[in-house]
Amino acid sequence: MNNLLLFLGLLFCGWFFGRRAEQRHYKSIIERELEFNALPAIASRFPPTDTAYEQQLVAGSTVVSSDYFKSITAAMINIFGGEVKPFEALIDRARRESILRMKAEAKSAGADMVFNIKMETSQIAAGRTGAIEVLAYGTALIPTNVVDIASAPNVTDMNVATPA
Amino acid sequence: MKYENRQPEEGINVSKGSPVKTFLQLVISTLLLLTVSIFVLYLSGAWLAKKIPFRYEEAIMEKIDVDFGSSGSDQDIREYLSELSARIAVHLPNPDEVSYTVHYEPEDVFNAYATIGGNIVFYKGLLKALPNENALAMVMAHEMAHVSHRDPVAGLGGGVASAIALSTVFGSSGSEYAGSFINGAGGLTAVQFTRKMENNADDAAILAVSKLYGHTVGADSLFKHIDEKRKESSKPDWFSRFSSTHPLDSDRVENIKQKTLELELPTSGDTTPLPDLW
Repeated sequence: MNNLLLFLGLLFCGWFFGRRAEQRHYKSIIERELEFNALPAIASRFPPTDTAYEQQLVAGSTVVSSDYFKSITAAMINIFGGEVKPFEALIDRARRESILRMKAEAKSAGADMVFNIKMETSQIAAGRTGAIEVLAYGTALIPTNVVDIASAPNVTDMNVATPA
Repeated sequence: MKYENRQPEEGINVSKGSPVKTFLQLVISTLLLLTVSIFVLYLSGAWLAKKIPFRYEEAIMEKIDVDFGSSGSDQDIREYLSELSARIAVHLPNPDEVSYTVHYEPEDVFNAYATIGGNIVFYKGLLKALPNENALAMVMAHEMAHVSHRDPVAGLGGGVASAIALSTVFGSSGSEYAGSFINGAGGLTAVQFTRKMENNADDAAILAVSKLYGHTVGADSLFKHIDEKRKESSKPDWFSRFSSTHPLDSDRVENIKQKTLELELPTSGDTTPLPDLW
Protein backbone atom coordinates (compact mmCIF):
# COMPACT_ATOMS: atom_id res chain seq x y z
CA MET A 1 0.00 0.00 0.00
CA ASN A 2 2.85 2.34 0.91
CA ASN A 3 4.56 1.53 -2.37
CA LEU A 4 1.38 2.33 -4.26
CA LEU A 5 1.03 5.68 -2.47
CA LEU A 6 4.68 6.49 -3.20
CA PHE A 7 4.13 5.60 -6.85
CA LEU A 8 1.02 7.76 -7.11
CA GLY A 9 2.81 10.62 -5.32
CA LEU A 10 5.74 10.48 -7.69
CA LEU A 11 3.36 10.29 -10.61
CA PHE A 12 1.48 13.39 -9.48
CA CYS A 13 4.72 15.30 -8.80
CA GLY A 14 6.01 14.30 -12.23
CA TRP A 15 2.86 15.44 -13.94
CA PHE A 16 2.45 18.70 -11.99
CA PHE A 17 6.05 19.92 -11.88
CA GLY A 18 6.93 18.51 -15.29
CA ARG A 19 4.01 20.33 -16.88
CA ARG A 20 4.89 23.57 -15.11
CA ALA A 21 8.56 23.34 -16.11
CA GLU A 22 7.58 22.64 -19.70
CA GLN A 23 5.18 25.59 -19.92
CA ARG A 24 7.77 27.97 -18.43
CA HIS A 25 10.49 26.67 -20.70
CA TYR A 26 8.37 27.09 -23.84
CA LYS A 27 7.49 30.65 -22.84
CA SER A 28 11.17 31.48 -22.43
CA ILE A 29 12.14 29.70 -25.68
CA ILE A 30 9.56 31.59 -27.75
CA GLU A 31 10.61 34.96 -26.29
CA ARG A 32 14.30 34.33 -27.02
CA GLU A 33 13.60 32.89 -30.48
CA LEU A 34 11.83 36.11 -31.45
CA GLU A 35 14.87 38.02 -30.27
CA PHE A 36 17.42 35.77 -31.99
CA ASN A 37 15.62 35.47 -35.32
CA ALA A 38 17.72 38.45 -36.36
CA LEU A 39 20.72 36.11 -36.29
CA PRO A 40 19.79 33.35 -38.71
CA ALA A 41 21.04 29.82 -38.26
CA ILE A 42 21.18 28.13 -41.66
CA ALA A 43 21.72 24.45 -42.42
CA SER A 44 23.40 25.12 -45.79
CA ARG A 45 27.07 24.23 -46.15
CA PHE A 46 27.68 27.14 -48.53
CA PRO A 47 28.03 30.49 -46.86
CA PRO A 48 27.50 33.75 -48.73
CA THR A 49 30.53 34.71 -50.77
CA ASP A 50 29.89 38.37 -51.29
CA THR A 51 31.38 39.36 -47.98
CA ALA A 52 34.48 38.21 -46.18
CA TYR A 53 33.82 36.56 -42.85
CA GLU A 54 35.85 35.23 -40.07
CA GLN A 55 34.62 31.78 -39.15
CA GLN A 56 34.26 30.35 -35.75
CA LEU A 57 32.83 27.15 -34.38
CA VAL A 58 29.88 27.83 -32.10
CA ALA A 59 27.97 25.25 -30.10
CA GLY A 60 25.00 25.09 -27.79
CA SER A 61 24.21 22.11 -25.63
CA THR A 62 21.17 21.36 -23.49
CA VAL A 63 20.34 18.48 -21.18
CA VAL A 64 16.66 17.99 -20.38
CA SER A 65 15.37 15.37 -17.99
CA SER A 66 12.18 13.43 -18.33
CA ASP A 67 9.78 13.40 -15.40
CA TYR A 68 8.26 10.39 -13.67
CA PHE A 69 4.88 10.82 -15.35
CA LYS A 70 6.38 10.99 -18.84
CA SER A 71 8.71 8.06 -18.17
CA ILE A 72 5.92 5.80 -16.93
CA THR A 73 3.66 6.78 -19.83
CA ALA A 74 6.52 6.12 -22.28
CA ALA A 75 7.24 2.76 -20.62
CA MET A 76 3.64 1.71 -21.20
CA ILE A 77 3.78 2.92 -24.83
CA ASN A 78 6.81 0.63 -25.20
CA ILE A 79 4.50 -2.32 -24.56
CA PHE A 80 1.98 -1.43 -27.25
CA GLY A 81 4.09 0.61 -29.69
CA GLY A 82 3.15 3.88 -31.33
CA GLU A 83 4.38 7.44 -31.12
CA VAL A 84 6.10 8.27 -27.86
CA LYS A 85 4.29 11.57 -27.58
CA PRO A 86 5.40 12.39 -24.02
CA PHE A 87 9.01 12.68 -25.21
CA GLU A 88 8.22 14.88 -28.24
CA ALA A 89 8.11 18.06 -26.18
CA LEU A 90 11.29 17.01 -24.40
CA ILE A 91 13.25 16.69 -27.65
CA ASP A 92 11.66 19.80 -29.12
CA ARG A 93 12.61 21.89 -26.08
CA ALA A 94 16.17 20.56 -26.00
CA ARG A 95 16.66 21.15 -29.74
CA ARG A 96 15.31 24.71 -29.71
CA GLU A 97 17.17 25.59 -26.52
CA SER A 98 20.45 24.29 -27.98
CA ILE A 99 20.03 26.38 -31.12
CA LEU A 100 19.32 29.41 -28.95
CA ARG A 101 22.46 28.79 -26.90
CA MET A 102 24.49 28.34 -30.05
CA LYS A 103 23.10 31.63 -31.37
CA ALA A 104 23.89 33.31 -28.07
CA GLU A 105 27.51 32.23 -28.44
CA ALA A 106 27.55 33.44 -32.03
CA LYS A 107 26.06 36.78 -31.02
CA SER A 108 28.67 37.28 -28.34
CA ALA A 109 31.35 36.65 -30.99
CA GLY A 110 29.75 39.38 -33.13
CA ALA A 111 28.48 37.00 -35.83
CA ASP A 112 25.90 37.91 -38.45
CA MET A 113 24.71 34.38 -38.95
CA VAL A 114 25.56 30.75 -38.31
CA PHE A 115 26.01 28.35 -41.21
CA ASN A 116 26.14 24.63 -41.66
CA ILE A 117 24.41 23.95 -38.40
CA LYS A 118 24.13 20.35 -37.26
CA MET A 119 22.65 18.62 -34.27
CA GLU A 120 23.44 15.56 -32.28
CA THR A 121 21.32 13.85 -29.68
CA SER A 122 22.49 11.50 -27.00
CA GLN A 123 20.78 9.79 -24.12
CA ILE A 124 22.32 10.26 -20.73
CA ALA A 125 21.29 8.96 -17.33
CA ALA A 126 19.59 6.00 -18.97
CA GLY A 127 17.01 4.26 -16.88
CA ARG A 128 13.46 4.77 -15.83
CA THR A 129 13.93 8.52 -15.46
CA GLY A 130 16.38 9.35 -18.20
CA ALA A 131 17.61 12.59 -19.70
CA ILE A 132 18.66 13.61 -23.20
CA GLU A 133 21.33 15.93 -24.44
CA VAL A 134 21.02 17.86 -27.69
CA LEU A 135 24.13 19.51 -29.07
CA ALA A 136 23.76 22.08 -31.83
CA TYR A 137 26.86 23.39 -33.56
CA GLY A 138 27.70 25.40 -36.62
CA THR A 139 30.03 27.91 -38.19
CA ALA A 140 29.50 31.46 -37.03
CA LEU A 141 30.19 34.02 -39.76
CA ILE A 142 31.74 37.13 -38.24
CA PRO A 143 32.09 40.02 -40.63
CA THR A 144 35.66 41.28 -41.00
CA ASN A 145 35.90 45.02 -41.56
CA VAL A 146 39.52 44.83 -42.57
CA VAL A 147 39.18 42.93 -45.61
CA ASP A 148 40.15 43.59 -49.05
CA ILE A 149 39.34 40.27 -50.56
CA ALA A 150 41.54 40.53 -53.62
CA SER A 151 44.62 41.14 -51.50
CA ALA A 152 43.85 38.62 -48.84
CA PRO A 153 47.21 37.50 -47.49
CA ASN A 154 46.65 33.81 -47.50
CA VAL A 155 43.81 32.29 -49.41
CA THR A 156 44.42 28.91 -47.88
CA ASP A 157 43.88 30.28 -44.40
CA MET A 158 40.86 28.34 -43.25
CA ASN A 159 39.75 31.12 -40.97
CA VAL A 160 38.87 33.36 -43.86
CA ALA A 161 36.09 32.71 -46.30
CA THR A 162 37.36 33.13 -49.82
CA PRO A 163 35.18 34.22 -52.70
CA ALA A 164 34.44 31.67 -55.37
CA MET B 1 21.03 36.41 -50.91
CA LYS B 2 18.99 37.18 -47.84
CA TYR B 3 18.99 34.71 -45.00
CA GLU B 4 16.44 34.68 -42.25
CA ASN B 5 14.93 32.52 -39.53
CA ARG B 6 11.19 32.86 -39.24
CA GLN B 7 9.43 31.99 -36.05
CA PRO B 8 8.12 28.43 -36.42
CA GLU B 9 4.48 27.69 -35.82
CA GLU B 10 3.91 25.92 -32.51
CA GLY B 11 2.56 22.37 -32.29
CA ILE B 12 4.24 20.93 -35.40
CA ASN B 13 6.79 18.77 -33.67
CA VAL B 14 4.80 18.27 -30.50
CA SER B 15 1.51 16.37 -30.69
CA LYS B 16 -1.54 17.93 -29.14
CA GLY B 17 -3.84 16.03 -26.80
CA SER B 18 -4.26 15.41 -23.11
CA PRO B 19 -1.34 13.46 -21.60
CA VAL B 20 -3.54 12.42 -18.65
CA LYS B 21 -6.11 10.89 -21.03
CA THR B 22 -3.34 9.03 -22.86
CA PHE B 23 -1.96 7.85 -19.53
CA LEU B 24 -5.32 6.53 -18.34
CA GLN B 25 -5.93 4.73 -21.64
CA LEU B 26 -2.51 3.11 -21.34
CA VAL B 27 -3.09 2.11 -17.71
CA ILE B 28 -6.38 0.41 -18.60
CA SER B 29 -4.83 -1.37 -21.60
CA THR B 30 -1.80 -2.47 -19.56
CA LEU B 31 -3.96 -3.81 -16.74
CA LEU B 32 -6.15 -5.71 -19.20
CA LEU B 33 -3.11 -7.16 -20.91
CA LEU B 34 -1.55 -8.15 -17.60
CA THR B 35 -4.73 -9.76 -16.32
CA VAL B 36 -5.17 -11.83 -19.46
CA SER B 37 -1.45 -12.76 -19.57
CA ILE B 38 -1.34 -13.77 -15.93
CA PHE B 39 -4.54 -15.78 -16.28
CA VAL B 40 -3.26 -17.64 -19.34
CA LEU B 41 0.21 -18.16 -17.83
CA TYR B 42 -1.24 -19.32 -14.51
CA LEU B 43 -3.40 -21.92 -16.25
CA SER B 44 -0.54 -23.03 -18.51
CA GLY B 45 1.90 -23.23 -15.58
CA ALA B 46 -0.63 -25.13 -13.48
CA TRP B 47 -1.38 -27.55 -16.32
CA LEU B 48 2.31 -28.20 -16.96
CA ALA B 49 3.13 -28.56 -13.24
CA LYS B 50 0.50 -31.28 -12.87
CA LYS B 51 2.56 -33.35 -15.32
CA ILE B 52 5.43 -33.45 -12.81
CA PRO B 53 5.46 -36.89 -11.13
CA PHE B 54 4.50 -36.85 -7.45
CA ARG B 55 7.83 -38.38 -6.43
CA TYR B 56 9.54 -35.20 -7.68
CA GLU B 57 7.40 -33.18 -5.29
CA GLU B 58 8.55 -35.41 -2.45
CA ALA B 59 12.17 -35.10 -3.58
CA ILE B 60 11.92 -31.30 -3.62
CA MET B 61 10.47 -31.25 -0.11
CA GLU B 62 13.25 -33.51 1.13
CA LYS B 63 15.84 -31.25 -0.46
CA ILE B 64 14.55 -28.01 1.05
CA ASP B 65 14.01 -29.74 4.40
CA VAL B 66 11.08 -27.76 5.76
CA ASP B 67 10.31 -28.00 9.46
CA PHE B 68 6.59 -28.61 9.81
CA GLY B 69 6.81 -28.93 13.57
CA SER B 70 6.92 -32.74 13.43
CA SER B 71 9.58 -33.03 16.13
CA GLY B 72 7.48 -31.73 19.01
CA SER B 73 6.17 -33.58 22.02
CA ASP B 74 2.58 -33.96 20.82
CA GLN B 75 3.08 -37.47 19.48
CA ASP B 76 -0.44 -38.63 20.35
CA ILE B 77 -2.00 -35.75 18.39
CA ARG B 78 0.16 -36.52 15.37
CA GLU B 79 -0.73 -40.21 15.55
CA TYR B 80 -4.42 -39.41 15.81
CA LEU B 81 -4.27 -37.05 12.81
CA SER B 82 -2.29 -39.60 10.75
CA GLU B 83 -4.71 -42.35 11.63
CA LEU B 84 -7.68 -40.17 10.62
CA SER B 85 -5.99 -39.26 7.34
CA ALA B 86 -5.41 -42.96 6.59
CA ARG B 87 -9.12 -43.62 7.17
CA ILE B 88 -10.07 -40.73 4.86
CA ALA B 89 -7.53 -41.65 2.16
CA VAL B 90 -9.40 -44.87 1.46
CA HIS B 91 -12.42 -42.82 0.36
CA LEU B 92 -10.60 -40.32 -1.83
CA PRO B 93 -9.91 -40.86 -5.51
CA ASN B 94 -6.16 -41.31 -4.95
CA PRO B 95 -3.84 -41.53 -7.90
CA ASP B 96 -1.48 -44.45 -7.27
CA GLU B 97 1.66 -42.63 -6.25
CA VAL B 98 0.15 -39.87 -4.07
CA SER B 99 0.80 -40.16 -0.34
CA TYR B 100 -0.16 -37.93 2.59
CA THR B 101 1.82 -36.75 5.59
CA VAL B 102 -0.13 -34.88 8.25
CA HIS B 103 1.75 -32.48 10.52
CA TYR B 104 0.72 -30.68 13.68
CA GLU B 105 1.86 -27.17 14.62
CA PRO B 106 1.13 -26.29 18.25
CA GLU B 107 0.53 -22.61 17.43
CA ASP B 108 -2.61 -20.66 18.05
CA VAL B 109 -3.23 -20.07 14.35
CA PHE B 110 -6.65 -20.64 12.82
CA ASN B 111 -5.44 -22.45 9.73
CA ALA B 112 -4.68 -25.69 7.95
CA TYR B 113 -3.05 -26.06 4.58
CA ALA B 114 -1.82 -28.56 2.05
CA THR B 115 1.45 -28.09 0.25
CA ILE B 116 3.67 -29.96 -2.16
CA GLY B 117 4.88 -33.46 -1.41
CA GLY B 118 1.52 -34.43 0.13
CA ASN B 119 2.25 -32.47 3.32
CA ILE B 120 -0.78 -31.26 5.24
CA VAL B 121 -0.36 -29.00 8.24
CA PHE B 122 -2.92 -28.50 11.02
CA TYR B 123 -2.57 -25.72 13.58
CA LYS B 124 -3.70 -26.04 17.15
CA GLY B 125 -5.80 -22.87 16.76
CA LEU B 126 -7.97 -24.54 14.15
CA LEU B 127 -8.27 -27.88 15.97
CA LYS B 128 -9.49 -26.06 19.08
CA ALA B 129 -12.30 -24.43 17.09
CA LEU B 130 -13.64 -27.72 15.71
CA PRO B 131 -16.81 -29.02 17.37
CA ASN B 132 -16.53 -32.69 16.35
CA GLU B 133 -14.49 -35.21 14.40
CA ASN B 134 -16.81 -34.94 11.40
CA ALA B 135 -15.84 -31.28 10.97
CA LEU B 136 -12.15 -32.16 11.33
CA ALA B 137 -12.53 -34.98 8.81
CA MET B 138 -14.18 -32.54 6.38
CA VAL B 139 -11.28 -30.09 6.65
CA MET B 140 -8.72 -32.88 6.41
CA ALA B 141 -10.49 -34.53 3.47
CA HIS B 142 -10.59 -31.10 1.80
CA GLU B 143 -6.82 -30.63 2.18
CA MET B 144 -6.14 -34.24 1.15
CA ALA B 145 -8.33 -33.76 -1.92
CA HIS B 146 -6.10 -30.80 -2.85
CA VAL B 147 -3.11 -33.15 -2.73
CA SER B 148 -4.93 -35.86 -4.61
CA HIS B 149 -5.95 -33.34 -7.32
CA ARG B 150 -2.29 -32.14 -7.41
CA ASP B 151 -3.48 -28.60 -6.58
CA PRO B 152 -0.40 -27.52 -4.56
CA VAL B 153 2.04 -28.24 -7.38
CA ALA B 154 -0.40 -26.72 -9.89
CA GLY B 155 -0.71 -23.58 -7.75
CA LEU B 156 3.04 -23.41 -7.41
CA GLY B 157 3.61 -23.88 -11.15
CA GLY B 158 0.96 -21.32 -12.03
CA GLY B 159 2.31 -18.87 -9.45
CA VAL B 160 5.85 -19.15 -10.72
CA ALA B 161 4.80 -18.79 -14.36
CA SER B 162 2.74 -15.68 -13.69
CA ALA B 163 5.45 -14.22 -11.39
CA ILE B 164 8.01 -14.56 -14.15
CA ALA B 165 5.61 -12.78 -16.49
CA LEU B 166 5.26 -9.98 -13.94
CA SER B 167 9.03 -9.72 -13.63
CA THR B 168 9.35 -9.04 -17.35
CA VAL B 169 7.03 -6.08 -16.98
CA PHE B 170 7.88 -4.75 -13.53
CA GLY B 171 11.55 -5.69 -13.17
CA SER B 172 13.19 -7.83 -10.58
CA SER B 173 10.50 -7.90 -7.88
CA GLY B 174 8.53 -10.50 -9.83
CA SER B 175 11.51 -12.82 -10.24
CA GLU B 176 12.34 -12.47 -6.53
CA TYR B 177 8.81 -13.64 -5.83
CA ALA B 178 9.31 -16.58 -8.18
CA GLY B 179 12.67 -17.29 -6.53
CA SER B 180 11.11 -17.44 -3.09
CA PHE B 181 8.85 -20.23 -4.36
CA ILE B 182 11.64 -22.20 -5.90
CA ASN B 183 14.46 -21.74 -3.40
CA GLY B 184 12.88 -22.10 -0.03
CA ALA B 185 9.91 -22.65 2.12
CA GLY B 186 8.93 -18.97 2.13
CA GLY B 187 6.26 -19.38 -0.49
CA LEU B 188 4.86 -22.70 0.65
CA THR B 189 2.02 -21.33 2.71
CA ALA B 190 1.37 -18.72 0.06
CA VAL B 191 0.50 -21.24 -2.65
CA GLN B 192 -2.78 -19.99 -4.03
CA PHE B 193 -5.53 -22.27 -5.16
CA THR B 194 -8.24 -21.11 -7.49
CA ARG B 195 -11.84 -21.16 -6.43
CA LYS B 196 -12.47 -24.01 -8.84
CA MET B 197 -9.80 -26.05 -7.05
CA GLU B 198 -11.45 -25.22 -3.71
CA ASN B 199 -14.90 -26.25 -4.92
CA ASN B 200 -13.58 -29.49 -6.40
CA ALA B 201 -11.78 -30.26 -3.12
CA ASP B 202 -15.01 -29.59 -1.19
CA ASP B 203 -16.94 -31.93 -3.49
CA ALA B 204 -14.40 -34.73 -3.05
CA ALA B 205 -14.26 -34.11 0.71
CA ILE B 206 -18.01 -34.31 1.30
CA LEU B 207 -18.15 -37.62 -0.56
CA ALA B 208 -15.24 -39.01 1.48
CA VAL B 209 -16.79 -37.84 4.78
CA SER B 210 -20.12 -39.36 3.81
CA LYS B 211 -18.47 -42.69 3.04
CA LEU B 212 -16.41 -42.58 6.24
CA TYR B 213 -19.24 -41.84 8.69
CA GLY B 214 -22.22 -42.99 6.65
CA HIS B 215 -23.69 -39.44 6.65
CA THR B 216 -22.70 -35.79 6.18
CA VAL B 217 -23.88 -34.46 9.54
CA GLY B 218 -21.40 -32.05 11.09
CA ALA B 219 -19.29 -31.72 7.95
CA ASP B 220 -20.30 -28.10 7.44
CA SER B 221 -20.12 -27.05 11.10
CA LEU B 222 -16.69 -25.38 10.80
CA PHE B 223 -17.81 -23.25 7.86
CA LYS B 224 -21.01 -22.32 9.69
CA HIS B 225 -18.90 -21.27 12.65
CA ILE B 226 -16.59 -19.13 10.47
CA ASP B 227 -19.53 -17.61 8.64
CA GLU B 228 -21.05 -16.53 11.94
CA LYS B 229 -17.73 -14.97 12.96
CA ARG B 230 -17.44 -13.23 9.60
CA LYS B 231 -20.87 -11.67 9.96
CA GLU B 232 -19.52 -9.85 12.99
CA SER B 233 -16.87 -8.15 10.81
CA SER B 234 -17.63 -5.06 8.75
CA LYS B 235 -16.55 -6.27 5.32
CA PRO B 236 -19.51 -6.83 2.99
CA ASP B 237 -20.07 -10.31 1.53
CA TRP B 238 -19.53 -9.23 -2.06
CA PHE B 239 -16.09 -7.84 -1.12
CA SER B 240 -15.03 -11.04 0.64
CA ARG B 241 -16.33 -13.11 -2.25
CA PHE B 242 -14.40 -11.03 -4.78
CA SER B 243 -11.17 -10.68 -2.84
CA SER B 244 -10.77 -14.23 -1.57
CA THR B 245 -9.67 -17.28 -3.54
CA HIS B 246 -11.61 -19.46 -1.11
CA PRO B 247 -15.35 -19.61 -1.65
CA LEU B 248 -17.24 -17.73 1.00
CA ASP B 249 -18.06 -19.96 3.97
CA SER B 250 -21.81 -19.44 3.54
CA ASP B 251 -21.35 -20.50 -0.11
CA ARG B 252 -19.45 -23.58 1.04
CA VAL B 253 -22.21 -24.53 3.45
CA GLU B 254 -24.66 -24.13 0.59
CA ASN B 255 -22.39 -26.13 -1.73
CA ILE B 256 -22.17 -29.00 0.77
CA LYS B 257 -25.96 -28.95 1.10
CA GLN B 258 -26.39 -28.99 -2.70
CA LYS B 259 -23.89 -31.78 -3.17
CA THR B 260 -25.56 -33.81 -0.43
CA LEU B 261 -28.94 -33.44 -2.16
CA GLU B 262 -27.52 -34.06 -5.60
CA LEU B 263 -25.80 -37.30 -4.62
CA GLU B 264 -28.58 -38.24 -2.20
CA LEU B 265 -26.10 -38.64 0.63
CA PRO B 266 -27.52 -39.56 4.05
CA THR B 267 -28.24 -36.50 6.19
CA SER B 268 -29.03 -38.05 9.54
CA GLY B 269 -26.73 -39.66 12.05
CA ASP B 270 -24.63 -38.94 15.10
CA THR B 271 -21.48 -36.89 15.07
CA THR B 272 -18.30 -38.42 16.44
CA PRO B 273 -16.73 -36.58 19.35
CA LEU B 274 -13.13 -35.44 19.20
CA PRO B 275 -10.55 -37.04 21.52
CA ASP B 276 -9.39 -34.81 24.34
CA LEU B 277 -5.86 -34.32 23.03
CA TRP B 278 -5.51 -30.54 22.52
